[in-house]
Amino acid sequence: MRRRAGVGAIHKQKLEQEKYKDKGTEIQENQLEQMSKQMEVFRINLEKFAAKHKNEIKKNAQFRRQFTEMCASIGVDPLASGKGFWSVLGIGDFYYELAVQIVEVCLATNYKNGGLIYLDELRDRLIQARGRRKEHQEITNEDLLAAAKKLKIFGNGFSIVPLGRGRHLVQSIPGELSMDHTAVLQQASQSGNAYVSKSLLQKELRWESDRTQKALDHMVKEGLAWLDLQGEEETLYWFPSMFTACINSSS
Amino acid sequence: MTEINWPWQYSFPPFFTLQPHAETKAKQLAAWKSLTLEYYRITNQAIVDIREVHSSPLFNNVSINRKLSSDMVLVIMEELENSGYACALDKSRQRWLVYWHTLQEWGEIIYNWVRDNGFIGSVCTTFELTDGENTTDQEFHGLDPEVLVRALRTLESSNRAELIMFDDNQGVKFF
Repeated sequence: MRRRAGVGAIHKQKLEQEKYKDKGTEIQENQLEQMSKQMEVFRINLEKFAAKHKNEIKKNAQFRRQFTEMCASIGVDPLASGKGFWSVLGIGDFYYELAVQIVEVCLATNYKNGGLIYLDELRDRLIQARGRRKEHQEITNEDLLAAAKKLKIFGNGFSIVPLGRGRHLVQSIPGELSMDHTAVLQQASQSGNAYVSKSLLQKELRWESDRTQKALDHMVKEGLAWLDLQGEEETLYWFPSMFTACINSSS
Repeated sequence: MTEINWPWQYSFPPFFTLQPHAETKAKQLAAWKSLTLEYYRITNQAIVDIREVHSSPLFNNVSINRKLSSDMVLVIMEELENSGYACALDKSRQRWLVYWHTLQEWGEIIYNWVRDNGFIGSVCTTFELTDGENTTDQEFHGLDPEVLVRALRTLESSNRAELIMFDDNQGVKFF
């Protein structure tokens, strides 16, 4: 006689399933616990590592870049907060210090460039102000960009304008630059002449006349561009921030 | 003649176009004021004639093909006038006297020299002051006669000097 599945068997099956489930949860919990433990160990090690190599991180630009890359790959931002265990290490301090110096250079050159400065010029001036020791001198553009990003918390008065080809402008005036304004700056920088004209922009960017004029007027209104009515064919718009003699002048 | 140390703005073409934006314009005029005074000091000149500005390398940079309009030179002169470094010589405001010290400052500089050298109470000719052997090491040596007379008048108004005209000579007595 074939035995049919009885109520007892169903119960038994259900019980087994529940046991499996329990076991599964248990294993999962174990794993999670272990993972957390591992992460904790990793965090502690990273902390120890950072503490041990604190000076190296501050002094050696190459090392610093690798360290911040490593932090980034595991989702840790050593500059994220002034609080918490990272602040104890003073890793952030290095960048905060840089950020303050960036602001100082921007303020000091504002009167001539209107609040727009090439990252390269900024770096030269900053290094000059930092003193002669090697560790003060080894500041990379990446360091400056990382530090400048922190300045965003002050609102839109401070931003980085990427120009392409690894060049950046640092803008330190209130008032956000639109895509169009950024495009104008890119054209001026790429032309290598420190100026643009309406016809050049219309040709390169395929903009309409009104749009071009509006963007140029904005640059003048913000004090970033100077008007030149003595160009051979048309009005030229010059950027002192990109004018070599201005960049090189010490005063 | 001493070389002029041209500031970067002098080679910056829009420096020669009056800027429409207020803040930029203020920076531009400030730079023009100090450059003008510096140029006039080094070349030891005192007269700006607005009708002939383009003969001056200061207002006409041939190497970048940019020059100032007469209107803009007038603006710069009026700015200098407001801070006491220039005054118009005619009613149409075309000829200007420019001085890199204010007239009061020149007055003090001259009076200090007079006092230090014991000329209080005596009469000097203006020629002695600007071209005499005693003053060769003084900043006012070779000063434009018109600027000198106007500087002495500031001393006159504070009762420290009196200008005396005789024949075609000018003299001054210090108190």
